[in-house]
Amino acid sequence: MIEVTGLYKSFGENKVLDDITSSFEEGKTSLIIGASGSGKSTLARCLVGLVAPDEGGVLFDGRDFLGMTGKERRGMLKEVGFLFQGSALFDFMTVEENIRFPLDMLTKMSTDEKAERVQFVLDRVELKDAHKLFPSELSGGMKKRVGIARAIAPNPKYLFCDEPNSGLDPQTSIVIDNLIHEITQESNITTVVITHDMNSVIEVGDYIMFLHQGKNWWEGDNKSILKTENQEVLDFVYASEFMKKIKA
Amino acid sequence: MKRLRIRVTFVPMASFLYHLGRYALLIWRVFSKPEKVSIYRKRLFDEMVTLGLDSLGIIMIISLFMGAVITIQTSANIDSALIPAYTIGFTARQSTILEFSPTIMALILAGKIGSNIASEIGLMRVTEQIDALEIMGVNSGSYLILPKILAAVVINPFLVVISMFVSIGGGYMIAQFTDIVSVPDYVYGIQFDFRPFHVNYALIKSVIFAFIFTSIPAYQGYYASGSALEVGKASTRGVVFSSIVILIANYVITQLVLI
Repeated sequence: MIEVTGLYKSFGENKVLDDITSSFEEGKTSLIIGASGSGKSTLARCLVGLVAPDEGGVLFDGRDFLGMTGKERRGMLKEVGFLFQGSALFDFMTVEENIRFPLDMLTKMSTDEKAERVQFVLDRVELKDAHKLFPSELSGGMKKRVGIARAIAPNPKYLFCDEPNSGLDPQTSIVIDNLIHEITQESNITTVVITHDMNSVIEVGDYIMFLHQGKNWWEGDNKSILKTENQEVLDFVYASEFMKKIKA
Repeated sequence: MKRLRIRVTFVPMASFLYHLGRYALLIWRVFSKPEKVSIYRKRLFDEMVTLGLDSLGIIMIISLFMGAVITIQTSANIDSALIPAYTIGFTARQSTILEFSPTIMALILAGKIGSNIASEIGLMRVTEQIDALEIMGVNSGSYLILPKILAAVVINPFLVVISMFVSIGGGYMIAQFTDIVSVPDYVYGIQFDFRPFHVNYALIKSVIFAFIFTSIPAYQGYYASGSALEVGKASTRGVVFSSIVILIANYVITQLVLI
């Protein structure tokens, strides 16, 4: 479980996060949604230490992440997987090397064990024969899958996904969403997904936090969000004509 | 007016100190204990190939022609019968060993390798690959920059020595194929008053310059932000600043070691 308490972050005069308090449970896919510029990505980056918050606390299963020393934090991050918006695959490595990299750096697994694990995660993301391809040879959807494979390769306890559907067609988006959801349940991972994709919200949102003006504006799940009377949430959910027709 | 003058003086100085401090902190991180030595060893050899062997061609071409031109220029500028002909070979050797091979080659490599390093690391920064390393608990500064610095520091003295031989060979070629200077005079000149310490001085410079033309572009790339345009600017800054620092360092080393 990840607990966030009273998190604040400003960039100059611009207050991006304003007293964010919440918790993300293990085995559940937690979604942070909101309009562009609402602070979603900044929140995710604060949670993993890529951005230092001005105030507040982040607890990973009771361990105070922000209070840790650099060395303790690096140790803690070995339990974290992160799927970046642009996948952030290492250009100079093949798919296999990308996935093996965290195993090389973070574990004491033997070469055979690493090869087995790489094969397992590649099978899991349905990319059995992509070992020798370079990121430049992959489609957007394949890059996301490799990104997921790399993130889950060292068996993380916590998985963060920053806009996993951006730039993908609706069908591929659903495949990626379901993959993240299944992996979360299979391995009992605490998963936090940053998104503004309504399909994701409806398909996999076990817990949803709606950010508005840097505040935790609304919390619920994929059922309650469709019935909420909160105006800002309604404006976000029913922004498209398609969703308006469904509501009608 | 006075306030403006203070601001004009203070802002660049503050900016310089800010970058100097951040550069020092990055170098401190770069030289901290690596996570897995075996991974770094492999990267070191890869970088030696990329930074060293891949630069060999351009080093040899430039050295050959520079050696030839130095010989012709020296000959063209000596018009006194009192100056012996072997002075041409002597001047070509001294110019090559003391300045051309260590310093001019460093400036050329600052352009070739420096822009490569700054753009490679800068691109990794803007595509979040460096963030990915940090999230894995890997010291990104050390993982990305240390092998490049070590590879250049190890390989650059070899490149400089090769450059020396090729450049002097370029002068020999002129002696062989033209009547500017005779081969015996040129050969006598390149052996005349040879001081091995001058080669050591050149090698000391090559090591220091290699550190400069890798670490400064790496710093520029590491802290690049925004778009591909910014990566391009970081690459340019990396080349310009490393070239300036090489020239300043050259002056300081020469003053300290030779005078």
